[in-house]
Amino acid sequence: MNVVSMTHQTFTPKVPFGGLPIVSATGRGVIATDRDGLGMATVLVRKDRTTVLSQRVRDLFDIDLPKGPRHVSEGDVAFAGTGPEAWLAMRERGGNSFAASLRDSLGNLASVADQSDGYAVLRLTGPKLLDTFAKIIPIDVHPRAFRSGEVASTVAAHIGVTLWRLNDSGEGSPVFEVALFRSLAASFWHALSEAAAEFGFLVADSSGRDR
Amino acid sequence: MSTTAPSNSAERAAQATGRTPGQPYRLSDTGLIDRSRLLSFEFDGKRYTGFRGDTLASALLAAGVRLVGRSFKYHRPRGILTAGSEEPNALVELRSRARREANTRATVAELFEGLNARSQNRWPSLAFDVGAINSIFSPLFVAGFYYKTFMWPASMWEKLYEPVIRRAAGLGRASTEPDPDSYEKAHAYCDVLIVGGGAAGLIAALVAGRSGARVILCDEDFLLGGRLNGDQREIDGRSGSAWARSVESELVCLPDIRILRRTTVFGAYDDGRSGQRTFGAVERVSDHLPVPLPHQPRERLWKIIARRTVLAAGAIERPIVFGGNDRPGVMMASAVRTYVNRFGVAPGGRVALFTTCDDGWKTAFDLAKSRVSVEAVVDARDETSPILLAQAKAIGVRALCGAHVVDVHGVRGLTGITVRDRDGRLSKLPADTLAVSGGWNPSVALSTHLGGRTRWSDVISAFVAGDPPRGMTVVGAAGGSFSLADALREGSAAGSEAAEAAGFTVPAPQQWRTDDEFTGVTPLWYVKESRSKAFVDFQHDVTREDVALAAREGFRSVELLKRYTTLGMATDQGKTSNVNGHAIMAALTERAIPELGTTTSRPPYTPVALGAFAGHHRGKHFKPTRHTASHGWAQAHGAAFVEAGQWLRAQWFAAPGEKDWLETVSREVKAVRSSVGVCDVSTLGKIDIQGPDAGLFLDRVYVNLFSTLPVGKVRYGLMLREDGLVMDDGTTARLEIDHYLMSTTTANAAKVMQHLEHARQVLWPELDVQIVAVTEQWAQYAVAGPHSRRLLERLLGDVVDVSNTAFPYLACAKFSWHEVPTRLFRISFSGELAYELAVPARYGDAAIRAIMAAGEVLGVIPYGTEALGVMRIEKGHVAGNELNGTTTADDLGLGRMMSKKKDFIGRVLAGRPGLTDPNRAVLVGVKPVDLASRLYAGAHFLTAGTQATLENDQGYITSVAFSPMLGHWIGLGLLTRGPQRFGERIRAHSPLRGGDVDVEVVSPVFFDADGTRLKD
Repeated sequence: MNVVSMTHQTFTPKVPFGGLPIVSATGRGVIATDRDGLGMATVLVRKDRTTVLSQRVRDLFDIDLPKGPRHVSEGDVAFAGTGPEAWLAMRERGGNSFAASLRDSLGNLASVADQSDGYAVLRLTGPKLLDTFAKIIPIDVHPRAFRSGEVASTVAAHIGVTLWRLNDSGEGSPVFEVALFRSLAASFWHALSEAAAEFGFLVADSSGRDR
Repeated sequence: MSTTAPSNSAERAAQATGRTPGQPYRLSDTGLIDRSRLLSFEFDGKRYTGFRGDTLASALLAAGVRLVGRSFKYHRPRGILTAGSEEPNALVELRSRARREANTRATVAELFEGLNARSQNRWPSLAFDVGAINSIFSPLFVAGFYYKTFMWPASMWEKLYEPVIRRAAGLGRASTEPDPDSYEKAHAYCDVLIVGGGAAGLIAALVAGRSGARVILCDEDFLLGGRLNGDQREIDGRSGSAWARSVESELVCLPDIRILRRTTVFGAYDDGRSGQRTFGAVERVSDHLPVPLPHQPRERLWKIIARRTVLAAGAIERPIVFGGNDRPGVMMASAVRTYVNRFGVAPGGRVALFTTCDDGWKTAFDLAKSRVSVEAVVDARDETSPILLAQAKAIGVRALCGAHVVDVHGVRGLTGITVRDRDGRLSKLPADTLAVSGGWNPSVALSTHLGGRTRWSDVISAFVAGDPPRGMTVVGAAGGSFSLADALREGSAAGSEAAEAAGFTVPAPQQWRTDDEFTGVTPLWYVKESRSKAFVDFQHDVTREDVALAAREGFRSVELLKRYTTLGMATDQGKTSNVNGHAIMAALTERAIPELGTTTSRPPYTPVALGAFAGHHRGKHFKPTRHTASHGWAQAHGAAFVEAGQWLRAQWFAAPGEKDWLETVSREVKAVRSSVGVCDVSTLGKIDIQGPDAGLFLDRVYVNLFSTLPVGKVRYGLMLREDGLVMDDGTTARLEIDHYLMSTTTANAAKVMQHLEHARQVLWPELDVQIVAVTEQWAQYAVAGPHSRRLLERLLGDVVDVSNTAFPYLACAKFSWHEVPTRLFRISFSGELAYELAVPARYGDAAIRAIMAAGEVLGVIPYGTEALGVMRIEKGHVAGNELNGTTTADDLGLGRMMSKKKDFIGRVLAGRPGLTDPNRAVLVGVKPVDLASRLYAGAHFLTAGTQATLENDQGYITSVAFSPMLGHWIGLGLLTRGPQRFGERIRAHSPLRGGDVDVEVVSPVFFDADGTRLKD
């Protein structure tokens, strides 16, 4: 029995939005980047440990744990408030090991669960992003109503999503990230690309370049 | 250029003569149409031309086409009554085949090159319609005739009466082909929503928009301006339409304004947060095009959430009820003005006017200005403003005051009218067009959708908004202020007030100078001297006589009048008829109009295509679909999929040559039981439970103990609802001292999560426990069968020891495999030696490929949910069919699991007498006495020799399967005192699916009863 050769096969991960079709007008109305590889974990504070946890997060990442639905980042780490005493922690290219290291460093201050694969995340930008959101998201995303650093949990075309707004792009376009359950990636993609089709929808690689 | 359009030389010739060939009624010098863009179109198979900026109605009138349809009930010839969305008569079928669109109002259908329309409700032709015989028998077809005529015999209704009536009455035909176009939905938020883009709406938008407020302006027309386009008015020395263009050009430059043209706000809906209100609107994005542009929807449904609303929807002119008032050529006076001024079309060559208000006179003056012959103005009022009379005299228009039009002449079109003067003398006047004005009804529908009432105004003799919803201001004609000066003043004030209420600073108001006008009105509800049919509701063929009949027969309230006569129930919802009908009823029953009241209007204001409400959610996209990580692999390997909630799961994997699913599934079962198989079980719910109190928490939600479960072990758990019935089952693993992982059934994943959150947050907030759904994080595969251990040895090598000693039944472990966090559980649903392997979802595809590669030499096969179901029935494991919300733990044979040492959700109510009744139906197995018989789920159990009656019912079969291991059908069921009846022969009665089968009651465990296989 050739045990060794079996266990040393390379394990190729699949990107959640890989190979999905785009039918769109030409143009750069909405540009999407698959954030595959982003390390993600839910952080749920243990009972009465909020203050200590906040201090620990500040020490570790130089981040003030947001108290409401806000997204705060420093370096390659970000925390997004998703509910009472609940956060989604993220690390660029952190993969599954991010949750493990976070669990080790937060110890008994919080319950940490890996969600790097549970969520599919898209970064979306472009001059027509808000007009596209209007077609699939029922909440107000006007810059006066939904500012940079704010987080919301809502639905997009019957699909539960958590989204947060980042700083506008250099071209002045809004930038959002949208997280949704991975199994729904194809359905979300369909809804998003139909909504963005009239404005021009295209995909950029993880560095933000057009693909 | 299209081949159907006339050549350039023809166009040049037309311009030279000032007349357009084929458009004899096109005026040479007026209108807001683009005369450089000639468009050709077809109506009833005949070619015509019009211009960009025309509606189908204006183009037909320009061509001299006046007969455009037949009426609903009497098949009377009908023409074009209005120039707006209230049109009751000129309904046509637009486009063809899959895009065929019935009941399109010609007055709002924008002309496009190649437009193709047909008249409706006529056979064999519009000019000669056999159905018009209904008119001769019209005494039969009066109000309530369905109720009176087709009483007996009742059996004839469906077979004869209804089909015949439906063919004879009714309007257009819907297409039966799938709609090729797409529709979409959109959400918009604003500080100020302005409904209506006439003078009042435009100025409100400008004032609010300049302050920086977020403004949405909706107008149902394709050209902003409202009456400013149809009338000859002046604002600050400019024509009304030029003023509208200049406001529009400023509006489009404001940063936060959205102008939605061709958009009808059709309904007002509930309150939102902080006083915001929701409106429904439909934008006709592509209705004015032959086909939508690429990636454009046909229509877009807007949900608009507004802090404040300005209702500037204008008013609708009221017809007068007199004999023959439905004859083609009888038109609303304001519509005549619109055709002349906006479209450059004279609706006729010789026009008479019948009015009860000052506004009607404007039509005569505008016609005269355009050199259209005006025969006479018949003003029903005894007193008319001397200024109007002088103006009329100055341009040589004959005025007949205190006179009435009592009848019309002409069959398919007007040729003359009979006028009764104030002394009762009748005279006949020649006219091919009669412009009628009975005053104006404000469009207040949106103010009443949330329960607001209307209020009768004696000043304008019409209903106005009584108590519009909070945050809504009604202005201009919609508010009963019919002068242009008032519209501008009110619109400006409302725009300013709305923006200020939203926190914006508004500059000091501007003033506008307008030309003078008169707005006096004395209503005339009907001409009592008329002998011929006088229509109240044109679209539903309701006459004055029908209203009188309703009054005589006691249907006197407006609601009864409506239902008895169908007044106001057509697609136009009574926009031109309700007030007249109610006023006639008031007069007949000697009541004041406010005493009688009016009917309630409900959304939608105008018809909305159902496709717009569906948006993109059609067909497979009705709801989102969830795919597991192995979906692509399974697809490539011939899986048939089944929907499990939103999930798609592989149901079976057919091999070449297999003749049906049963053969496939039997092969899969046998392979698993003799060798090894793999099944994607990722869809089962997975809930991560952590914290020092996690064990205690689980003790309280499950009937059995979990705090005693050792780390590295898995236990089967059962949870009850508060009412004591079973909620769900599954296995829970203890990964660490303070870390459990619960699994739920696929169907109940979300419900269980909700249940646990409720328990954690509401019932026991004192517990230190945190829960989160991790279903999506893990791709999980069941590897089952006697060779499963060998497969895992080959797959995992020395990463983990899976020997029976190191990893016994109900063990679990987590480890790193391929540098990927991996979990392994020794659990079994099939009854075989089995494991479940979990990897992060992105590696799920790689994992299934690795499992299949490792198992190739062992003959591994993938199996689907169907084989999974067969095996669980063979093992007597309960699933959704048994966990159906009516069963207790005892009913399922799981009562022994209920701990006596602790409290748990559902414990108390599970002890209710009804739930502990010894006669309850309990889980059993059944097999057919004649082993060749098939069993059907849903069959009811009857004791042998008893009648199939409800009293004799003993329970029913919940699940059936053909067992390839036993070679016959088997079933699980719930049978009264079941376990005491093993060996008894009873009947399984299924009248729906083939009668009775004699079955024997047996243990629910059909296969490997002592469970040796799974513990090997």
